[in-house]
Amino acid sequence: MTMRRIVVVGNGIAGLTACDSLRSAGFDGELTIVGAERHHPYSRPALSKALLHSVDGTSVNGKGDDALQAHVLPAPTHEAEELLGVSATGLDVEARRVLLDGGGGLPYDGLVIASGSRAKRLADGQGAAGPHQDDSPREFTLRTIEDAILLRERLASRPSVIVIGGGPLGMEVASGCLHVGCEVTLVSDAKPLSRQLGGHLASLFTAAAVRRGLRVVGGGKARLAGHGAGARVVLADGTELEADLVVTAVGDEPNIGWLAGSNLLTEGSLRVDSRGRLRPEIVAAGDVAFFPTRRGVQRVPLWTSAIDQAKVAAAGLLQGDAAPEFNFQPYFWTEGFGLSLKSVGFTPVEGAPDYCEPGREDGSVLLRWDNPDGYGTAAAVNYRIPIPKLRRLADAGPAALRPVSPARV
Amino acid sequence: MRIELDRPRCEGHGLCEEAAPQLMHLDDDGELVIDVPEVDGPDLDAARSAVRVCPVAALRLAAA
Ligand SMILES: Cc1cc2nc3c(=O)[nH]c(=O)nc-3n(C[C@H](O)[C@H](O)[C@H](O)COP(=O)(O)OP(=O)(O)OC[C@H]3O[C@@H](n4cnc5c(N)ncnc54)[C@H](O)[C@@H]3O)c2cc1C
Ligand code: SF4
Repeated sequence: MTMRRIVVVGNGIAGLTACDSLRSAGFDGELTIVGAERHHPYSRPALSKALLHSVDGTSVNGKGDDALQAHVLPAPTHEAEELLGVSATGLDVEARRVLLDGGGGLPYDGLVIASGSRAKRLADGQGAAGPHQDDSPREFTLRTIEDAILLRERLASRPSVIVIGGGPLGMEVASGCLHVGCEVTLVSDAKPLSRQLGGHLASLFTAAAVRRGLRVVGGGKARLAGHGAGARVVLADGTELEADLVVTAVGDEPNIGWLAGSNLLTEGSLRVDSRGRLRPEIVAAGDVAFFPTRRGVQRVPLWTSAIDQAKVAAAGLLQGDAAPEFNFQPYFWTEGFGLSLKSVGFTPVEGAPDYCEPGREDGSVLLRWDNPDGYGTAAAVNYRIPIPKLRRLADAGPAALRPVSPARV
Repeated sequence: MRIELDRPRCEGHGLCEEAAPQLMHLDDDGELVIDVPEVDGPDLDAARSAVRVCPVAALRLAAA
């Protein structure tokens, strides 16, 4: 059927990219984007990096007040009608209507679901055993620009901080808090970053973190416990910790509440096909979606993953089976404790790298692993390298780094 | 339109190069070089995707 009206739910980078891609592909019908946040899309990765590694207007690299702007992206050019500060509350798949809060609905021929995810809260998981509403320590999480600004404000008085969660976000938050002069304890039930990156890269980051004064505490699952002005955290092994402020970074949950009753969910999750489709007229992209990868059906809640998924979904919506299938190529980066990492290929990687090339500066290194599945993963630590080159290193091995030598006579 | 780079912001991710290899590249030192600053027609779409993909918003499209 011809698509005359397309509705996009979610105004993050996936929703934005979907709108851009639909327009680039020639869609000139009615385009409407519904977004719960009142802002145009901004860069979430910047929230835990430049924005957090600065207080009082100065940032890591002396960029001054610019740090407060680090998340701002250029204004959209897709000329969609934008309903900002509006949430979709339901979906009628048969009638092809998105229901909106405050009543009313939007009819569509095509729908893009890009409602992203939200921070998991530790307190939610504690249920009745959790701290009481009134004496519960305030649990900070970091997902939105409002969260980031609030956290910055709290950090200005240099409180002691407990960060719960040893993933990339927890580590970036810990790095930011340390950077501005707080005393920081990181609680992680595994070695920080090991689940995401593997032991080798995790050790590099943990060593740098500890050198900069981070206190890392194991001890099993953490629980928040109420206590006056500050916060108390109790670990499974009985260890008790106290600080002025608790920030949790214990993962994210897809925003699929508005899809309950739509029949689009499989075992409670949104699973698209290799062209981003749930049905011929409904696609999904970004942090909200599970999609097929070489390592099985996964959710990959990362920036370039959201962008690439959105491009695939836009094509899948307009072209159906004629659209190209998604060949997901992971790209990941993180920074903190003076280290910057970029990696191409699936992680975590097991064991020590198979190839290692030191860079010109101290601590700068290029690494490659041969994975058991025959594919490579390449990582650059404090090493400036174009991503296409890093990709060649991952795919073809170290030979790809050398200039092609002229054929011998 | 003109592609402008805010050089101090650029962190050398090179995601922009992946989006628009015909318009820009990172040199061997990891510095971004804009090969085709003035863009129109089909290049404009590529330039827009490059600007969009940059997670630190170091690139901008300005009226030429
Ligand atoms: C602090 C932080 C640091 C990060 N750092 C990195 C990094 O270094 N590298 C990396 O690759 N990735 C990083 N990420 C992940 C990356 O930012 C996300 O993968 C990406 O932003 C996901 O985009 P999205 O559009 O799918 O979802 P979102 O950005 O979550 O956008 C979804 C939007 O939809 C809105 N919405 C939700 N429900 C509804 C509804 N019912 N109706 C209307 N609107 C709705 C939401 O309010 C939101 O604005 C980071 C994330 C965070 C939070
Ligand atoms: S994507 Fe942005 S940060 Fe990365 S090289 Fe391009 S301009 Fe620089």
